[in-house]
Amino acid sequence: MIRQCLHRLLLPLILCLLAVNPALASDEQQQQEAALMAQQQKVLAGEQQQLSQLQAQPQASDADLWRAVRAGDAGYTVAPGAESGRLINAVGQEGRLIRDQYVIPTLGAMLVGVFALFLLFYLINGPARLTKGFSGKMVRRWSSADMLLHWLMAISCLLLMITGLIIAWGRHALEGWMSADVWAGLIYGSKTLHDWTGPVFIVSWALCILKWMPLQMFKRYDFNWFMTAGGYVHFGPFKGKHPESGFANAGEKLWFWTLALFGLFISVTGVMLVLPDLVITRENSFVALIIHGFSAAILIGFTIVHIWMATALSEGGLESMVSGYCDENWAIQHHNIWYDEIKADGSLEYKT
Amino acid sequence: MAVMKFLCDTKRCIECNGCVTACSNSNSEALTFGTMRRRVVTLHDGEPGEASISVACMHCSDAPCKAVCPANCFYTTDDGIVLHNKETCIGCGYCFYACPFGAPQFPKKTAFGSRGKMDKCTYCAGGPVPDFSEEEQRLYGANRIAEGKLPLCAEMCSTKALLAGDAEVISSIYRARVAARSNPDTIWGYVPETGN
Ligand code: HEM
Ligand code: SF4
Ligand code: SF4
Repeated sequence: MIRQCLHRLLLPLILCLLAVNPALASDEQQQQEAALMAQQQKVLAGEQQQLSQLQAQPQASDADLWRAVRAGDAGYTVAPGAESGRLINAVGQEGRLIRDQYVIPTLGAMLVGVFALFLLFYLINGPARLTKGFSGKMVRRWSSADMLLHWLMAISCLLLMITGLIIAWGRHALEGWMSADVWAGLIYGSKTLHDWTGPVFIVSWALCILKWMPLQMFKRYDFNWFMTAGGYVHFGPFKGKHPESGFANAGEKLWFWTLALFGLFISVTGVMLVLPDLVITRENSFVALIIHGFSAAILIGFTIVHIWMATALSEGGLESMVSGYCDENWAIQHHNIWYDEIKADGSLEYKT
Repeated sequence: MAVMKFLCDTKRCIECNGCVTACSNSNSEALTFGTMRRRVVTLHDGEPGEASISVACMHCSDAPCKAVCPANCFYTTDDGIVLHNKETCIGCGYCFYACPFGAPQFPKKTAFGSRGKMDKCTYCAGGPVPDFSEEEQRLYGANRIAEGKLPLCAEMCSTKALLAGDAEVISSIYRARVAARSNPDTIWGYVPETGN
């Protein structure tokens, strides 16, 4: 820029000299001056061109260069690593804010909120008793393969939930209660257990979903189950209702499909997180982390409901996943269509 | 209390990678093969407007890595240096996802489970173990700050493009340079309207 100014000053100066001293300007001199002037003009034109080039080629301008870097532009580097040429990538920082502000609170709210709501409901409502009591006659409901798969999935899933919650909530809720060494051991143990339990869950989950899918298709009568809240509510307009249901009731079907969908999300994103070389970019990793967290929140909420239902709310329900048999009266009251079906086609099998 | 920062003058950086070598040398005990705490990136290499810049950890005042870490193993020293505890680190990689500058590194690139303990620039300030201990050398590398010296990368920069020190001090050095060059073009993000 300075040079450009100088050239511009020089030009009028030469012109002035020419005007003031015309006598001195011999032919030879005039030629020289003209040549000099032409040269000056060439330089000026060159600089003008440079300037317009700068405007036309934004990468040559500092402002745009750093603006592009801020937006994620990459350069050349000898450093190893997939993204080492990239100077700034703020996506992870934005993802972190989503995780801290939404995912982690949602996880906590699901755990505490759903549990509290169900406890309240249980205390007001009480469990669903068998209206005719136990018959003592046990009907085959699950095979031993079903039970093995169920408990593999359930135990791995619960371990994943506990360790996952420690990873998400530990530093906020637990770290302050223990010494630094205990904390280090706890968080390291949780992370390691979470990594190694994941594959067990994925395999057992996939087998359960495939094996049980035929039993979980929604039927017309399932609509009525939802309208009467499954017959579990013992007050108000829902009192005394016994909606129809097949092998699985509508609530169980909803749980099944939620588990199928979010189990898929959590499995895929879990694999992405545990094998970082599959998803080289930081964007993908953080998207995976957020989907993983939200899916976990939903599964945690549903699991709490599921465990409440199985252990406390439905009298005689847990039995069927422990021994594989359910009480005949339980089958008639809670799964009448299924009971009628197996009775009709002769597949009903009593415990001997 | 100071706020220690790095500043790289891109009009001076000549992409010699001397800072990278100095860093590896200074912290050799703590570094595994393939980890680099500092790197030099050249933008528009060989084109008009080429610029080189040396980057490591920026020692952010409100550090994303520190906020995201599930093990809560980061801490900020009185000098504003962001350090972490390798004993507590679980190698989850969250800090690497969150850091805008790609500073955190991991010894294991292909990992099921843990990627190993995270490593990043310590501003040559060691870690949460006794100063100059064998353990500090092995886990974190040099502790030049405790010796009253600046990080080796900046000390050894041949063109003094890479500056390290209190934010106030190094930014006034840079400001003086820009003034001396009397070229407004050297201020990032500012291209003046060129009048006649
Ligand atoms: C200790 C906790 C748990 C208990 C006590 C429990 C109990 C039960 C019981 C009793 C059944 C049989 C329901 C019936 O006979 O109709 C069942 C089914 C099932 N459980 Fe669990 N369970 C637990 C945890 C889990 C977990 C963690 C998962 C998933 C990750 C899970 C997924 C399932 C699924 C998908 C079914 C099939 C339900 C259906 O028919 O739709 N369970 N569970
Ligand atoms: S590692 Fe990244 S986020 Fe953390 S202080 Fe350094 S530059 Fe900032
Ligand atoms: S890799 Fe280590 S330092 Fe980084 S977030 Fe995970 S536990 Fe924290």
